[in-house]
Amino acid sequence: MSSSDSFPLQLDIDSDTLASCVACGMCLPHCPTYRVTGEESASPRGRIAMMRDAAERGEADAAFVEFMDACIQCRGCETACPAGVHYGHMMEATREALASQTSYQPRLRRLAYRALGMPRLLGFGSRLLGLSQRLGLIRLLSLLGRARPFRQLGAMTASLPRVPVRQAPLTASGDDVWLFTGCVMDAWMRDTHRAVQAVIEATGAGVALPPAEATCCGSLHLHAGLASDTRRLAHRVMAALPGEAPILIDSAGCGATMKEYGHLLGTEEAHQFAGRVQDVHEWLAERIDDLPEGAATSPDADGPSASDAMASDATPRERVAVQDPCHLRHVQQAHLPVRAVLGRYVEIAELDDEGLCCGAGGAYSQQHPEVAGAVRERKLAAIERTGVSVVASANPGCTLHLRAVGLDVRHPLEIVAEHLDGGTQA
Amino acid sequence: MISEDDAADAALLADLRGVLGDRARDNDFERGLYSRDGSIEGSPPAIVCLPESAAEVARIVRVCRRHSRPFLARGSGTGLAGGAVPVGRPVVIATAKMDRIIEVDIDNRVAWVEPGVLNLDLSRALTPQGFHFAPDPSSQQVCSIGGNIANNSGGPHCLAYGVTTAHIAALEVVLPSGDTAILGGVEAEPAGFDLRGLFVGSEGTMGIATKAAVRLTPNAPAVRTLLLDFDDVSEGSAAVSAIIAAGLVPSALEMMDKRAIEIVEAFAHAGYPTGAAAVLLVELDGLPGGVDAGVEIVREVALKHHVGHVRVAADDEERALLWKGRKNAFGAVARIKPDYYLHDTVVPRSKLTEVLEKVYRIADAYGLIAVNVFHAGDGNLHPILAFDRREPGVDERVKAAGRDIVAASIEAGGVLSGEHGIGLEKRDYMGMLFSAHDMYTQDVVRETFDPDGLANPLKIIPTGSRCSDSFHQHVPEGAWV
Repeated sequence: MSSSDSFPLQLDIDSDTLASCVACGMCLPHCPTYRVTGEESASPRGRIAMMRDAAERGEADAAFVEFMDACIQCRGCETACPAGVHYGHMMEATREALASQTSYQPRLRRLAYRALGMPRLLGFGSRLLGLSQRLGLIRLLSLLGRARPFRQLGAMTASLPRVPVRQAPLTASGDDVWLFTGCVMDAWMRDTHRAVQAVIEATGAGVALPPAEATCCGSLHLHAGLASDTRRLAHRVMAALPGEAPILIDSAGCGATMKEYGHLLGTEEAHQFAGRVQDVHEWLAERIDDLPEGAATSPDADGPSASDAMASDATPRERVAVQDPCHLRHVQQAHLPVRAVLGRYVEIAELDDEGLCCGAGGAYSQQHPEVAGAVRERKLAAIERTGVSVVASANPGCTLHLRAVGLDVRHPLEIVAEHLDGGTQA
Repeated sequence: MISEDDAADAALLADLRGVLGDRARDNDFERGLYSRDGSIEGSPPAIVCLPESAAEVARIVRVCRRHSRPFLARGSGTGLAGGAVPVGRPVVIATAKMDRIIEVDIDNRVAWVEPGVLNLDLSRALTPQGFHFAPDPSSQQVCSIGGNIANNSGGPHCLAYGVTTAHIAALEVVLPSGDTAILGGVEAEPAGFDLRGLFVGSEGTMGIATKAAVRLTPNAPAVRTLLLDFDDVSEGSAAVSAIIAAGLVPSALEMMDKRAIEIVEAFAHAGYPTGAAAVLLVELDGLPGGVDAGVEIVREVALKHHVGHVRVAADDEERALLWKGRKNAFGAVARIKPDYYLHDTVVPRSKLTEVLEKVYRIADAYGLIAVNVFHAGDGNLHPILAFDRREPGVDERVKAAGRDIVAASIEAGGVLSGEHGIGLEKRDYMGMLFSAHDMYTQDVVRETFDPDGLANPLKIIPTGSRCSDSFHQHVPEGAWV
């Protein structure tokens, strides 16, 4: 039986890579889409088997595209894989083949991705969006817009978070480190950058801010199969952030992609650049003693010993649940530094779900709201089991996805910054 | 041209869609995914069904009967003996969506669960109450309770606690007739034959479990885990027997050889001593005083057998890391070769050294790499043959080596399988262990449940065990290695 809708497809993945999965299945419980569907086609083991199948046949069909598109690309399977299979790169190569050889990414979507690399347009669009949200125009658009582009635009924008109309600019304070500010995050969540900058400065370092050319890392493009756009943006970002200074990232998705510029571009320059990229928590954890003490942990010189203080008086430390963004935990393996930094100021409540994805996945939650919502339900249950109401998340996508159901989600360094403020005022 | 087969499949699909809607699938890519389990080769089923309830399973079975089409259940697809490999264009009934823990009954120490619940999920869900489900296959993070029941699965901790059948109180099953029955009982053992005991381990040939009452085991108050390394495999094997002979029954007593240690350490970074010829992973549980005394006994015995180091895990974290290494050993074989064939035989403990040496010699003779990581305490060997299926002729060599390993185990007084089941893999070796009369008798039992031979046919019992029956279909070429 051969499907009636099959089409030719050349997958550029070598046979050693395709053979590297022994199909043991250890990845299945760590895959968010398998977890909510129980379907082999929604598992990493299944997707690799289908890639192998498509590569051997030289063709694919609509179902194959749907199966590949349903992956959140969290890469939780890579951490679980005893064989060290590079699933993420295989999925990126598959989507690149689909995007370049088929109509996998429709024109409107390609344009939307492209806009991320245009800071003025993005800023203008965001203000327009913010205004429209406040004036109720989005609802109107989805209600009245009958023509297809309007309907699509209405659907795309209806589930977006409320974005700011006006934001104060950031001010550079030196040249010890770059703080990469990104595209959507700078347009919608600049206050997070402001808090991150304050924490970096609390170590005594001066912060340089990137010029407008270094606006987008290309992460979303990469995940959509538009790797050539990512490479173009990577060149731009690299040229805009010269020198030796570390490049600090406060968005897990951006950090993961920028650390892979070497793999993406294959040049010595790109490898060197990638070596400078650090998640901001990694950088801070190495300088933890330069940060002020957390108020509740500093023992009173004349008072009882610290352990007595813990046992008796002292207001209990604030408890915060840490949600590990997948691209921090599974791709960068930089989730422990978050605990080192945040744990200096608050008590950390661990989730018991072994870092299972929350369902955000960059643009995924916009494109697959149903699956993303079901995956989020599991995360909400894990958060609820901690009994804690404040959640720390070091990635804008996760933050927005979890805030959308009313959770109090903040960047870990926003929480740290509040404690630093409290310390100076006291 | 539409062939007869295609027309039959189309009619079957239409009826299954009537039961399941779009949860009955026939896409080529998707069928391919259900063509194999954790074993090596397979062939695609005609249709994949993804039921969400016991009632749907019963309706699927009735549709299959109407179309005289074989059917088989599949859990997480981690089985290693080909038990869930389709033969003869059957319908695959995947139970992964049936993953609810229905009721936890602490008073009776049982929980009613659906077959798709994952083994480790169940134990984790019971942690707050201080209980767990004792059978813990290496694949426990992903394997399902339904699969455990089908294969009567074991695991490292079954040395002290017994395999799956000891932990299943009752079952709700859909029989091959399409009727639903309850086997066994939660409270007292019901009168009559122990049909529950018969069903557990029948690999889907007597029907499909749709609910299980599993027994809950209390978590031990104290646990100690030791890692012992040896310069010589035979000293390690001798220490295994000596520990048991000293009167201890460790909750787990595992052994790994040099290659296993290396690949496991590369994945888990648990501090396994790469370079040692063998390690033993020994776990003791019980009351704190008891386990501490046990640690000293193990230490004394190990010293007599020239142990290199005795490492006692300092805390739960270190313990978990050691087990993470052990339980991912099979998948980690991919660090040597992209394919592996994992065997499962049992030999008397006293013959471990002798049979292990034979395993290495057999692998050498066929130009294959053997990795050993196994449940030494109950003599349950798991030789892994690592290979690359793209090498010409390798399939035949792997198959021949496998047969020689089984023969060597039986010659040493062992049996065909410890815990993985017979499935397709060992079906044709049954004759090495059982007489024609034994197999005939087993086939009669099976026929009592499934007179039409539709429930996971061509598994376990070799073709030709009966003079006249429906087992005349042949396994397609390459259905397994």
